[in-house]
Amino acid sequence: MKVPVTWLREYVETAASAHELARRLSISATEVERVIDAGVPDVDGNLGHFVVGRVLAAEAHPNADRLQLCQVDVGNPDPQQIVCGAWNFGVGATVAVGLPGARLPGFPGPLEERLLRGEVSRGMILAEDEVGLGPDHSGIMLLSDGLEPGTPLGDVLPLVDQVLDVTPTMNRPDLLSMVGIAREAAALCDGGLRLPDPEEPSATGAEPVEVAVEDFGGCPRYIGRGFRNVRVGPSPQWLRARLHLAGMRSISNVVDVTNYVMHVWGSPLHAFDRSKLAGGRIVVRRARPGETLRTLDGTVRELVPGDLLITDGERAVALAAIMGGLDSEVSEQTTEVLLEAANFEPIGILRTSERLSLRTEGSNRWEKGVDPYAAAPAAALASRMLVDLAGAEPAGSVDVNDGLPKRPVVTLRPERASALIGLDVPADEQRAILERLDFVVDDGWRVTVPTFRARDVTREIDVVEEVARVVLDRVPLTMPLRRAVAGHLTPEQLFRRSLEDVLVGAGFSEAYTWSLTPSDPDPSALRLPDPMSGEHAVLRTTLRHGLVEAARVNVDAGNEPIRLFELARVYLPSGEQLPRERWRLGGITEGGFAAARGAVEAIYEASHLPLDVRRITLGHLHPGKAAETDAGWLGELHPTLLEGAWGVFELDVADLMAPLPERILYEDVITFPAVRQDVAVAVDEEVEAGAIVAVVHEAGGAELREARVFDVYHGEQVGEGRKSVALHLVFQAPDRTLTDEEAAAVRDRIVAALAERFGAELRA
Amino acid sequence: MDVEALEQAALAAVAAASSTDAIEAVRVEYLGRKSELKLALREVRDRETGITLNAARERIEGAVGAREAELERAELDRRLAEESVDVTLPVGGHERGHLHLITQIRREVEDVFLGLGYRVVDGREVETTRYNFDGLNFPPGHPARSPLATLFLDEDTLLRTETSPSQVRTMEAQQPPVYIVSLGRVYRRDTPDATHTPVFHQVEGLAVDEGITLGDLTGTLDFLLKALFGAERRTEFRTHYFPFTEPSIEAYVSCHVCDGAGCAVCRHSGWIEVGGAGMVDPKLYEFVGYDSERYSGFAFGWGLERIAMLRHEFPDLRELWRNDLRFARQF
Repeated sequence: MKVPVTWLREYVETAASAHELARRLSISATEVERVIDAGVPDVDGNLGHFVVGRVLAAEAHPNADRLQLCQVDVGNPDPQQIVCGAWNFGVGATVAVGLPGARLPGFPGPLEERLLRGEVSRGMILAEDEVGLGPDHSGIMLLSDGLEPGTPLGDVLPLVDQVLDVTPTMNRPDLLSMVGIAREAAALCDGGLRLPDPEEPSATGAEPVEVAVEDFGGCPRYIGRGFRNVRVGPSPQWLRARLHLAGMRSISNVVDVTNYVMHVWGSPLHAFDRSKLAGGRIVVRRARPGETLRTLDGTVRELVPGDLLITDGERAVALAAIMGGLDSEVSEQTTEVLLEAANFEPIGILRTSERLSLRTEGSNRWEKGVDPYAAAPAAALASRMLVDLAGAEPAGSVDVNDGLPKRPVVTLRPERASALIGLDVPADEQRAILERLDFVVDDGWRVTVPTFRARDVTREIDVVEEVARVVLDRVPLTMPLRRAVAGHLTPEQLFRRSLEDVLVGAGFSEAYTWSLTPSDPDPSALRLPDPMSGEHAVLRTTLRHGLVEAARVNVDAGNEPIRLFELARVYLPSGEQLPRERWRLGGITEGGFAAARGAVEAIYEASHLPLDVRRITLGHLHPGKAAETDAGWLGELHPTLLEGAWGVFELDVADLMAPLPERILYEDVITFPAVRQDVAVAVDEEVEAGAIVAVVHEAGGAELREARVFDVYHGEQVGEGRKSVALHLVFQAPDRTLTDEEAAAVRDRIVAALAERFGAELRA
Repeated sequence: MDVEALEQAALAAVAAASSTDAIEAVRVEYLGRKSELKLALREVRDRETGITLNAARERIEGAVGAREAELERAELDRRLAEESVDVTLPVGGHERGHLHLITQIRREVEDVFLGLGYRVVDGREVETTRYNFDGLNFPPGHPARSPLATLFLDEDTLLRTETSPSQVRTMEAQQPPVYIVSLGRVYRRDTPDATHTPVFHQVEGLAVDEGITLGDLTGTLDFLLKALFGAERRTEFRTHYFPFTEPSIEAYVSCHVCDGAGCAVCRHSGWIEVGGAGMVDPKLYEFVGYDSERYSGFAFGWGLERIAMLRHEFPDLRELWRNDLRFARQF
């Protein structure tokens, strides 16, 4: 909401500058996004160059058809000759004049006395857009006739202004009003508050205004006021200027009054052309099936039961709290007005406005909850302004309500407030803070909440917040006084960090990919019923899709080497409300199967886990290069998924971690030396290294410490369909030095077992 | 034989030797088994001559040894000089990967709080409306409950919109004192653009104990902000509103780029908004069965991406999800 500061100062008297106000408000009341400088530059006495003028003479410029030559009284003994291009005025008009030397917003230099088509022009008669008071450039500004020529223009129009751009939180709809901001400003800057309190115009007639509310739940209060002999026309310049600075468009005096008063009191109003209401009555009710309404923006709205309507007893004339109907709109022909100053409950308004995608200044306030008490002063101010600005004659008024809500009463313990805040705020100061914010505090610390805060402040803690926010910049920075600490990562959290570090050390960079994917290999994967897009529709059960896409991004970018991993969750359907969320470690790397295998070996080795790899078949992997471990799979990505030879793997972190020993026990590998031997055996091509090593371990028994394949050789000496597998063997006993005979015996056992199981021939 | 002349000749030869080979030849000639001196020593019969010869031998041996060491050192120096390489030439071969920027910040934040004695709680991403909204005091009709804002799996199940459900789950599972942080992915129905992605990361902090104050919250956040943005930063706290905290505040840190003077990063305000926080609302204690008269506490929930963007000044959040190595390798 935009808060012009000159307007604000009408309601609050304070020496604080706009920036000081903004700062106090932003710490203790509402975010102030910025302070906007508006109007003409307030430098070097610039304001002295703007005065009220009266046109004494106006005639056609002798040398130019489209210009007027004016003599303007600007308060000096001699009139000022000014050439003007506008024609919306005549002799006697009261106008705004910029004298030579005046600086206008957006003009490079000051105004100068100069010749225009041979006639001297000493200044400029101003249009509203030339001084930042409005968008209009169709004519010059016409001021009220009573003003003395020579009066400083700044006394009449907000010629220089600053505008606070405030964004109150959703619990503070009371701050979507000038009055609300003024109350806070007065409380926070110790200023005097002067809320608008106009003299109510007395009704000339007492004709009844008939209002029936069928749904007090949706509309707890409806003030209707009738006006006759309304003269619809343009608004005076000061009103146009204020609306402009407040970010609203001037439409006509009647509509402008409703918008202006909404801005003042935060309670939206609506004006109907009363002659367009059948029978001139108002019925507030819920929509019926099939009902429609053409709203002010010209759109025909299809209504559903539950939408709250203002009707004239026969048909809908407004979508309550959101937008008026086109047919009953106030127009230039309107002479009878029905002013609505009502109150609507938030529930349901958001639903209707979301369904229709129709948000307005009004609905934005109603959906947060507006004080029902604000309707009365809003009606009073609007009535006064309709009388003063549109010559309206009040003709009856009604206030229909089901009883206005009581003000909440909450007991505050000031010592509790100090304890929670962590700052000793003396009880007297707490009382003063609350009273300045319009709370009433009795001797027993029963605190009565003002009506405009009744929805938000209902408990002691809410009152504590009122104190806390005012003293917020005095709260000391402390740390909790601890009696116990337990700061540590769990074993799984530590393990995840170590997995990340291992892969980073192995040259892999970490990727983050979406949890939501276009599709998933698991047909039972959880699917969003209403996804944002087809790209983000299914909760993944594998990291693979994201990693392949991440690799593709890097291929396209020409990056190398490409090695990526991700440590994140997958979401496995569980048959219950919530899926099983499992941490997975996935990777993709150039270099095909071997590179994937290398990464998996590094992971297992760093985790002190034996790696047991078995051949499997998986649809997304190369049929000859696919394997599983106890914790997941690895292999070469099927080339149809991404061009090139890509190693991929995915391990379940909990499964990987399950066999981790709690602690590692020392084995004596130092005292007694090891015997190292290499053997090579020839076996059939299809015998896998893993199977050979398994048999070696089985046959080797306790004295075989290590067996590792270090070479596989194909060649003529080995024969067709055969291969030579070279193994490095380490024999060692923890309690003695093995003799050569003992080592040879173990080796013989191993060779014999390989011969028996695989028909292996010893080659060396 | 003339010992003195022999010694003179030997010392002259030592001095003339210009390589280790040459000195070896000198050694053989004057000290070898067949050298004149050795032969003479073998023949010696009287003590006087023996002493003279041995003294000469020792002097020659000393001279040969010293010259040999000198020459060896000179040859080593020469060889090392020849082995000089271009030390500015990179060799590569041990390329490390890079942790994702968000992981780095995540660890930084975790370590700050581990140091303060907090535990790290993992939480879960698919949540029930009970934990994501009801337990956090979101009123019915709150905009976050709308499917326009939140990704639902069904009426009661959704992708968590903040890390706060882990607060409720933690409090349900244990009595105070509670000191935890919880970091992870959260989800909102936001169309991706430079400053929004539908998935992002939050850090949630929760402390509930006897005597926890608003000052403890601002003090803790001040500590965290200085750890993240520099010890010389200033912090400021402004009133705010969240359904799950009362009072609620928003934390600001003085701009690390201009130090408060005003620049594009802080939008010329000198301050940067970092995230929300507040004192845990008593409604939450009611929900989990804590005694709100005995215990008080604070909570905060901040976006890690926002911290990353502010600190490293990259313009588009989506880069964090594109995984282009040219981006990742910078951090």
